[in-house]
Amino acid sequence: MSIEVRNISKSFGKFQALKDVSLEVKSGELVAALGPSGCGKTTLLRIIAGLETPDSGSILFHGEDATQSSVSDRKVGFVFQHYALFRHMTVFENVAFGLRVKPRPQRPSNEVIRQKVTRLLELVQLEWLADRYPSQLSGGQRQRIALARALAVEPKVLLLDEPFGALDAKVRKDLRRWLRRLHDEIHVTSVFVTHDQDEALEVADHVVVMNHGQVEQFGAPEQVYEHPASPFVYNFLGNVNLFHGRIVGGNLQSGSLKVAAPDALAGEERAAIGYVRPYDLDVQRARTNGSTIEAIVQHIHPVGPVVRLELLRRDTQDSLEAELTKDQFRELALSVGEHVFVSPKNLHIFAADYAI
Amino acid sequence: MTVLLKRRSVIPGFGITLGYSLLYLSLIVLIPLTTLFLKTASLTLAAFWEEVTSPRVLASFKLSFGASLIAAAINGVMGLLVAWVLVRYRFWGKRIVDALVDLPFALPTSVAGIALTTLYAKNGWMGQLLDPLGIQAAFTPLGVTIALTFIGLPFVVRTVQPVLQDLGVEVEEAAASLGANRLQTFRKVIFPSLLPSVLTGIALAFARAVGEYGSVVFISGNMPMRTEIAPLLIMTKLEQYDYAGATAVAVVMLLLSFVLLFAINALQWWNRRKYGAR
Repeated sequence: MSIEVRNISKSFGKFQALKDVSLEVKSGELVAALGPSGCGKTTLLRIIAGLETPDSGSILFHGEDATQSSVSDRKVGFVFQHYALFRHMTVFENVAFGLRVKPRPQRPSNEVIRQKVTRLLELVQLEWLADRYPSQLSGGQRQRIALARALAVEPKVLLLDEPFGALDAKVRKDLRRWLRRLHDEIHVTSVFVTHDQDEALEVADHVVVMNHGQVEQFGAPEQVYEHPASPFVYNFLGNVNLFHGRIVGGNLQSGSLKVAAPDALAGEERAAIGYVRPYDLDVQRARTNGSTIEAIVQHIHPVGPVVRLELLRRDTQDSLEAELTKDQFRELALSVGEHVFVSPKNLHIFAADYAI
Repeated sequence: MTVLLKRRSVIPGFGITLGYSLLYLSLIVLIPLTTLFLKTASLTLAAFWEEVTSPRVLASFKLSFGASLIAAAINGVMGLLVAWVLVRYRFWGKRIVDALVDLPFALPTSVAGIALTTLYAKNGWMGQLLDPLGIQAAFTPLGVTIALTFIGLPFVVRTVQPVLQDLGVEVEEAAASLGANRLQTFRKVIFPSLLPSVLTGIALAFARAVGEYGSVVFISGNMPMRTEIAPLLIMTKLEQYDYAGATAVAVVMLLLSFVLLFAINALQWWNRRKYGAR
């Protein structure tokens, strides 16, 4: 079932959590809402679920307006960050809850409930925990039970609020891959909220990046990562070097660096910032053709698959961060204090008045 | 035990603090209790039995335990309600209401007794309203129950409050998203989670009510066979120099209190075991 969010706004007192947000999630997709804390992503999720009512705008499920219907009528599965399992019930009863509270005519028999719950527990690979209480489970297990409980009522839409937020790094990674496989298996339209860009980019079909209650960009993970629509998205999805400067004569001039600006910005003279990922900085011992920046190597971090260099620009005294492969680093054989020449391979320019 | 004593700890003085604690407990708790039993032992078993089963004593036990039970039950319901309001809603003067709950704790019981008697006497504020309905509160078992309800309220509120706070709205939202209506959410999710703490609160309020003396003596009127509570009967017997009789009643109350304490502890243990330490 598709979800359509139309011009949703929501305020809590003086704080505006969402400003005219619109979004479309196609049937069967897994979409991640990504953004820093306080950006409104959880509020958006809660409005879709019906746990919160919008000040204006509407929510459509499969083309039908659902803005006025209550949580229990929307047929959404909601998974909470802190699981919200029923502590006084066994794992089995937690999962069975949604079936047991159905109106009497629709309520399945005990035998049907037993089969269904067992099947769901098998799906989340925890059938051996059926008789335990939530307090006896680990965080990852609790979250999977919460997911099984949400799936028991066969929701048309599955909403997950920071589902892995309370788990440690290793479990998070395992669980998000598991979630992706699960989604490929059951194909229920899902939206999950996260502040972890790796999680969003790895798991989701589409990512919606949010900031200050607004949608910054909506697109496939590679599109959002490779072609950020705004400086905010650039900043949020990984490390970035900033080249502050001015557009003069169709070029961005930043210290000794001079790079051609896109046509849209080239027209008039104005302040602008160039954005470059650390691995898109070319580092050489000798000055090359074209525009380069002279810098001093300040620190070398050789741990991990890449070598990270901290550089100090000689022209503006700003810091830069560059990432080299082990091979490149070995070839250059750099040490701290040496002079290098840096040139950006892939630079995105945004006008400086663009507020982040 | 030797292992425990010899184990090195960063906090010094384990021996001396344990010794002091035991000495203190003996002086404050054990010695008076032992004296109580020794005094009762001056009665033969038959005389003891006759003493504690005499109609007047039985009537006092019936009133004490009956009224306490009713009062604790009322507090169970009303205390849950008060705790609910204090945890779930934000309103002007909430802090004051919260502080008011502790008043029955803080107030000297005799002050509470006089206040309640004045209120519920035939010409008092409440008494005036009840009298035309043919209800007499002061100097009846009803009055006793009112006084015991008054002093028991904080126990339920203060045991339920933290549990309710801990429960959070998320489980209610989870229940709603799974299709449960409000009644089902309360019946199947909220109430079962609160039940152990409500029971503990009721047991505490009951234990306190059984031993209550100061606030009851004024409003009850202390008529033998009708409105005489057990603690007062002990007092009366002492005044008549019937020391053995007084201690016999006391021993029965003591044993019942022990049973109650045990029940409360068992309840809490069951609660902890079932839902785990969180």
